[in-house]
Amino acid sequence: MRLRALHLGNVRKFAGKKASVTGIGDGITVVSEANEFGKSTFFDALHALFFEKYSSAAKTVKSLQPYAKGAVEVAAEIETDEGRFRVEKTFLQRKSARVLRMSDGAVIAQDDGAERWISTALGSDKNGPAGLLWVRQGAIGLDPDTRDETVKQLETRRDLLSSVSGEIDAMTGGRRMDRVMKRVAEELKTLVTATGKPTGEWRALNGEIAQMEAELSELDAQIDKLSTALDARKQAENLLAQLDQPDARAARAAGLAQAEGALEEAKAHAGRVAAAEQAHKLAQIEAQTARGRLDEFLAALERLASAHSAMEASRGALEEVASQTAQKEAAFEVAKAAADGSTAAVTEARGVLDAARKQAAAQAAKARAKGLEKQLQQVDEVEKKRDAARARIAASAATPKWLAAVEEAQNAVAAQTAAVNAQAATLAVTYSGAARVTQGSEVLSDGVPVMLSGSTDFELPGIGSLRVDVPDGGREAADALSARKARLAEVLAKAEAQTLAEARDLAAARAQWVQKLQTAEAVLQTLAPQGTAPLRAEKAAADLAGAGADDAPLPAQDALEAALTKAQAEDAEAQAVLARASASHAAAREAAIHSQAAAQAAQTALEAAQAKAGHTETRDATKADLIRTDAQAQENASAKAEALENMRAQAPDLGTAQAECTRAQNAVTAAEGQLQKLQLRIAALSAEIHAQSEAGIEETRDTLSGRLDAARAKEARLANKAAALLRLRAALEAERSAARDTYFGPVQRELAPLLSILYDEAGLQFDTDSLLPSGLTRAQTEERLDDLSGGTQEQIAILTRLAFARLFQGQGRHMPIVLDDALVYSDDARIVKMFTALTRVAQEQQILVFTCRTMAFLELGGTRPEVDIHDL
Amino acid sequence: MFRFIHSSDLHLGKPFGRYPEDVRVRLRQARMASLEVLAERARASGAGHVLLAGDTFDQMTPAPKVIRDALNATGAASDITWLVLPGNHDHANATELWRTFTKDAPPNVTALLTPEPVALSEDVTLLPAPPTERHPGRDLTEWFNDAATGEALRIGLAHGSIRGFSSEDGGASVLSADRAREAGLAYLGLGDWHGQLKISETTWYSGAPEADSFKHDAAATALLVELDGQGVRVTPQPTAALNWRALEIDLTGEETEISLPQDARSDTLMSLTVTGHAGPTLRRKVEADIAQASPDFLWAEATLDALRLIHDTSDLDQIDRHGALRAAADVLAAEAEDTSRTPEERTTARTALSYLFSYVGED
Repeated sequence: MRLRALHLGNVRKFAGKKASVTGIGDGITVVSEANEFGKSTFFDALHALFFEKYSSAAKTVKSLQPYAKGAVEVAAEIETDEGRFRVEKTFLQRKSARVLRMSDGAVIAQDDGAERWISTALGSDKNGPAGLLWVRQGAIGLDPDTRDETVKQLETRRDLLSSVSGEIDAMTGGRRMDRVMKRVAEELKTLVTATGKPTGEWRALNGEIAQMEAELSELDAQIDKLSTALDARKQAENLLAQLDQPDARAARAAGLAQAEGALEEAKAHAGRVAAAEQAHKLAQIEAQTARGRLDEFLAALERLASAHSAMEASRGALEEVASQTAQKEAAFEVAKAAADGSTAAVTEARGVLDAARKQAAAQAAKARAKGLEKQLQQVDEVEKKRDAARARIAASAATPKWLAAVEEAQNAVAAQTAAVNAQAATLAVTYSGAARVTQGSEVLSDGVPVMLSGSTDFELPGIGSLRVDVPDGGREAADALSARKARLAEVLAKAEAQTLAEARDLAAARAQWVQKLQTAEAVLQTLAPQGTAPLRAEKAAADLAGAGADDAPLPAQDALEAALTKAQAEDAEAQAVLARASASHAAAREAAIHSQAAAQAAQTALEAAQAKAGHTETRDATKADLIRTDAQAQENASAKAEALENMRAQAPDLGTAQAECTRAQNAVTAAEGQLQKLQLRIAALSAEIHAQSEAGIEETRDTLSGRLDAARAKEARLANKAAALLRLRAALEAERSAARDTYFGPVQRELAPLLSILYDEAGLQFDTDSLLPSGLTRAQTEERLDDLSGGTQEQIAILTRLAFARLFQGQGRHMPIVLDDALVYSDDARIVKMFTALTRVAQEQQILVFTCRTMAFLELGGTRPEVDIHDL
Repeated sequence: MFRFIHSSDLHLGKPFGRYPEDVRVRLRQARMASLEVLAERARASGAGHVLLAGDTFDQMTPAPKVIRDALNATGAASDITWLVLPGNHDHANATELWRTFTKDAPPNVTALLTPEPVALSEDVTLLPAPPTERHPGRDLTEWFNDAATGEALRIGLAHGSIRGFSSEDGGASVLSADRAREAGLAYLGLGDWHGQLKISETTWYSGAPEADSFKHDAAATALLVELDGQGVRVTPQPTAALNWRALEIDLTGEETEISLPQDARSDTLMSLTVTGHAGPTLRRKVEADIAQASPDFLWAEATLDALRLIHDTSDLDQIDRHGALRAAADVLAAEAEDTSRTPEERTTARTALSYLFSYVGED
């Protein structure tokens, strides 16, 4: 969209007049007029035309109205890709809006339709800050409401960055967004913590709800308890009333009396039954006695006959048994003789075998004793060798260790001797005559050097004496040599040796004895590993065992053992025959004994039966008498039994009568007890109920229930409020973040080439929250924006705005840039560079400049439109 | 002519727990004071009896002071005979209540605890049907049909819901709607329904003398009943000291403000439901008007949940014409109308947008 002309009618200082700016070009257009001409009026009217509804009565609109009032008319001619149009609005009076196509003057949109057309032309249908570039420098997007705000805004106008601030605010919501966010945060702070948990009133309310729920639960339990108590008391009272009714009491008493009467009658009948039972028992006894006597007599007769038969039979059997017994006894005697013979044969065979075995053992022991004796002799000889070796070893100190010490001492002497020889002075005499030099009593040998140490005197026959003094250094070595020799001698003396060779011989001899000792001990270990005592004991035992041995040849033991085995088999067979004969004989004797006892018993029985049956003459009479007596007794007993059964059949059940009487008594007693218990129970329940009802717990519960309902409803409202506020916060943060993401980076990229026009290798730093430039880096030095000069701040602000314009242009959204009184703080050099920047941007962007600095802006070039003012 | 006052459902001792303490006190006092009002209505109309058809007390075991206050109030009206029928809240098996009541009752007060005829005068007999439990589940007035009362006029008194008519507290409907005719009653006085209701010429629910909720629209009354052997005349008598006003204001037209009750606000409890739709400006004004007027009422609540927030471009322009603030408003507005979302999410978005309007409006 490009502006081509502006038309104002009855606006502010143009009251009753019409003011027009026409001929606005594509690139830079400069409206240069003196102060108070009305440039800001043009700007404000232009802003209202595009951003205030024709029906608006906002302050920004009212501020356009002159003191004389009347309708405010604003119109602009614009050019879009679709052609050239005239947009016009009439505010405050005769409110209207129209869009006319200038090619034919047709009205293409009116009022609300015109508003939508304008919105589309501005790009409001896109997700961007339409009209961003229309913001006047210093304007912050919010209109002042108070004097303080007006003053503040005026101050902000002087802050040239405010233009950038306004642009960014338009994107991110600016201070309005901040205020809303702050309000949301304030409200949320009273409801939730940073982590979204309830706090403050909400949290306290949740606590109250939990407490009320707990109390309500407890009250419900108490009410249940009360209800239970009421029910229990009601049941108890009903039962008490039933039990305590006079009719019930009388019924219980009558029942008891009836039961007691029945019990007495039952007891009397039971007495009569007992008497009948007694008579019946007596009759039964008499009948049993009579029957017993009769049976006994009849049995005696039967036993008598049987006894006679048994007596005869026993006599025959006794004779048969005696015959068999005699036969068995003879057979037994024969078998016994055969068994005795076989046993003697076995004994004899075993004796021969035993004797042969003893002779063989004696001979073996004797041979063993001889062997042991020889072994003991060998042991004795070896032990002697061993002891001799031990003695030799003990007597010799020439151990390997000693020999090592001797060799060490000998080496020390040799070493020291070498040292002495190396240091000592010597004297050698070469004789030419017979005279000999002596040292003490010894004659010095011809040519043999004599070691000299300390002061040594020599006798020179015929001459006198010679004293030779040698320095002390040689003496110390000599002394050391002496000491080592003494040490050698001392060590040699331990084994009585004189020289090293002798010492080695002594050590070798000792070693041979050690070898002999080891050999003897090894032999002894073989011959007598346990020592000689076990060998000697074994020999003594062998001597004893072989004492009776002779040298006669031994019989064959196998033959002897076979003979013994055969004799034993024959003896076993004879013993078996004897056992069978013995058993048969014993059985025969037992049968004889039994036959004799049976005969004796038959005799006894016969005698007893005869005694029971009585005399033969009276037996029939006795039998008849006993039969008659028995019949009479049986008849009497039957009569008594019948009488008893009849009486029993007629008897009431005493147990039942007793139980009924007991039940009736228990019923009376239980009823009385129950009455007492119920009274106590009712009293206790009444006390409990009274206590609960005094507390009015149902009312308390209902009260609490109502409070709980109200609290829950309030909690729900707070929860809903919190959810809504959280949602609102999320939406605001998301959109603000999106706005920043959408514009921040691209704007920086567009800004870079513009910035390089003014400053070499300069860079801008931006505050991540406000998105405003916060610092400028030049020559690798960073300066805070507040510390920069007003001119520099102004230039940065305009460059930033131009960067926005380039960004939108790149997105295919052409928006005119309007600069109002810009670059007032910039010096001449910077203004020229700024003009360069503006010119560069103007190659693709329409820029409308209002300024009062006519001369300064001459170098900017651009189109100079016509301004026409005339009466309406 | 035999005249009496028929009332019911005083629910003395009802705690009204969801209300603030000062409101609760007023509500409880008003209910207790209704006994005195009933006595005045009886005197004014020449009635010698007040028949209370159940639920005189709100609980089975009310606080002793509630019973005592009721007995004092009825006893003070010693020129009136009070006949008190148990209801489902204070049924006859609420033994502790009725034991205390009957023990301390003054001579002019009788509790009707058993289904037995009670002579109100030489030629008028009362047939009570006291509930024995909260939900008896059977028609306790059946015995009226066979009750022997000679030539006397028969008045039935019962508590419960009639068949085909819901109980006040959701219990089963068991009373026969035709009981008066079946039992030859000159009048059948019923309790349980808290609003006055005529079932037939001779069968009436009196309603409570003081409302206890916003359920019933009409002002609370008692019934003056006049019997002369030829017919019955029933005349409602105003008894309410407090007003329960349930208002629903529908903003679907061109309303620019709401109209709230002006009279006796200090004696009025108001439950206001605003429905329809409103733009942010109107909604803010409605909220402000309610907030301004609420303190004048004894108690007031307003529900704007059903008031749909509508907005057009100009409304959203109030938030911002462009930029992130406007984008957030657009997102929330779209979310509020997005039928693919849950009702809760849409409500949250709508409320969030409302807050946004509100906070921007604070500028």
